[in-house]
Amino acid sequence: MSADQGARLFDLGYRGYEGPRRRPASAILTLGVFTVRRVLGLGRGARHKVLPAITLVIAYAPALVSVGFAALVDPLPVDDLITYGEYTFFIGSALALFAALVAPEALCPDRRSGMLGLYLAGPLDRTRYLLAKGGAVLAVMLTITLGPLLFMLAAFVIAGYGPTARETPGLVLEILASGVATAALYASVSMAVASFTTRRAVAAVAVVLLLLVPAIVARSAIESADAPDALDLLSAPFVASELSYRIFGEASGAEEPIGRLSTWVVAGGLVAWTLAASAVCWARYRRIEADR
Amino acid sequence: MTTADPHTTSPGVVSARGVVKRYGRTVALGGLDAEIGPGITGLLGSNGAGKTTFLSLVLGLRSRNEGTLVVLGEDPATAGIDVRARIGYAPEHHELPTELAAADFVRHLAEMHLLPPRAAVQRANDALWLVGLGEERFRPVGTMSTGQRQRVKLAAAIAHDPELVLLDEPTDGLDPVQRTEMLALIRRVGKEFGMHIVISSHHLEEVERICDAVVIVEGGTVVRAGALADLRRGPDGLVVEVDDCAEELAALLAERGLDVSVEGDVVLVAGGADGHDAVRDAVADLGVGLRRLAPRGRTLEDVYLGADA
Repeated sequence: MSADQGARLFDLGYRGYEGPRRRPASAILTLGVFTVRRVLGLGRGARHKVLPAITLVIAYAPALVSVGFAALVDPLPVDDLITYGEYTFFIGSALALFAALVAPEALCPDRRSGMLGLYLAGPLDRTRYLLAKGGAVLAVMLTITLGPLLFMLAAFVIAGYGPTARETPGLVLEILASGVATAALYASVSMAVASFTTRRAVAAVAVVLLLLVPAIVARSAIESADAPDALDLLSAPFVASELSYRIFGEASGAEEPIGRLSTWVVAGGLVAWTLAASAVCWARYRRIEADR
Repeated sequence: MTTADPHTTSPGVVSARGVVKRYGRTVALGGLDAEIGPGITGLLGSNGAGKTTFLSLVLGLRSRNEGTLVVLGEDPATAGIDVRARIGYAPEHHELPTELAAADFVRHLAEMHLLPPRAAVQRANDALWLVGLGEERFRPVGTMSTGQRQRVKLAAAIAHDPELVLLDEPTDGLDPVQRTEMLALIRRVGKEFGMHIVISSHHLEEVERICDAVVIVEGGTVVRAGALADLRRGPDGLVVEVDDCAEELAALLAERGLDVSVEGDVVLVAGGADGHDAVRDAVADLGVGLRRLAPRGRTLEDVYLGADA
């Protein structure tokens, strides 16, 4: 095309930016979304998606089986189906696996790769950084503490086995309470552990150990040394599953030491675990040097 | 000691008065005073002099124990988030998320600096093209060389069009060719795009090549600061270097009324530019070889070492 035809080439290149800028608080959301995508392997290679996918399958399997029964078996053996209260106990392994996967993936690489320093050199401070990361870890944990129960509820309602219209709002609230409490407990514990190391594998193993070892120690002490039942509160998984039973008005059984404790004590145990773990994580991040 | 770019009356970009920072019993900054003006400023000092601590205070990543610090008109200790939103920062370390593509890395940091998502994508691409990584922008950062990573860090620091860019050892790990290119790039960013730049470095020659002003930090305090042209300006006069006959030349010049002194093979001639003709004539009369005839002045190394040549 010749010049006299009016064609012109513009080399715009790099220029100053005069467009809109978002509010500083939006950095929290940006980092939270980025972290969720990273943890779930979205936008990353296939190998990063394997573990999250396996965990999700394990977590949703009981719900899928129950819904499958409801769809295929007539009459439905209602007593054989998993209950809402039992669900947290049934997916204990998935919860431990997810907790060991999510927080280390969310926190450790930032310190290892120096990204923490770059984030804190932007419109974030340590509290906002932890809010973003905590929100992301909580959101991912909710996909398995809340998602399967809501899926089960929806499927049962559609199949005609669900609660009545009058009972449904109450059950939804119970599902929300159970899901959020369990997710908060696992998220805070795994974040606290992940705040101590830059290595994901080390953090993952430590999370699993922290979830399993106290349970074994507590039960051994109670059964063999007549230790008080409250020792069961040292086990985060026991606390989470027991509180779920209580929220749905179900009983884990008096043969379980934690089952003999009052609901307020169990709820207090969960709050104490969550707050203590959050405080540990926050205290760790106040001390971490981000400018070296 | 304070300084500002004498070529402008704009308010200082960074203003520090009596800034003290202690780590336990260790005093990292002991009453630092500095005035960093617009343009490109070099923050010079040996390792452990307090450069990185000062940058941390400018970014509001650490709190000072005493003194006042104003960055872009605000105190980073109380308005850290607002200040940091207007700053771009490239750290010294080269560890970056290895699996992220350069474009994704720069875009993410641009979004973190409050650009809307679509604008962040555009700006990331523009910044990477500017630093010469346009064709490589979809490569994972982990596969890039040190030189390319330095460019990625620079792109990430400028993508959100900050008012102030802090570059911590931006040429660390680069070979001479890459270093020259990087310095030219930084110079271009500072001059063409109107960003104020502070370069923390311990390489005198690169600061001398691209900076308008310099702040020299040693032992946690500013030992020298000012516009580079002012600092390098020495006493009036000439430096003359001849083959073997410095004493004879000095005697002849003194005989002709000039104020001279001899340092080794170098004759220092005091006074104004009219000394040129006298030196030329004296050298011709003696029939000696003239190696160097230059105005008296100081290199940045002289300034750094406190020399008064």
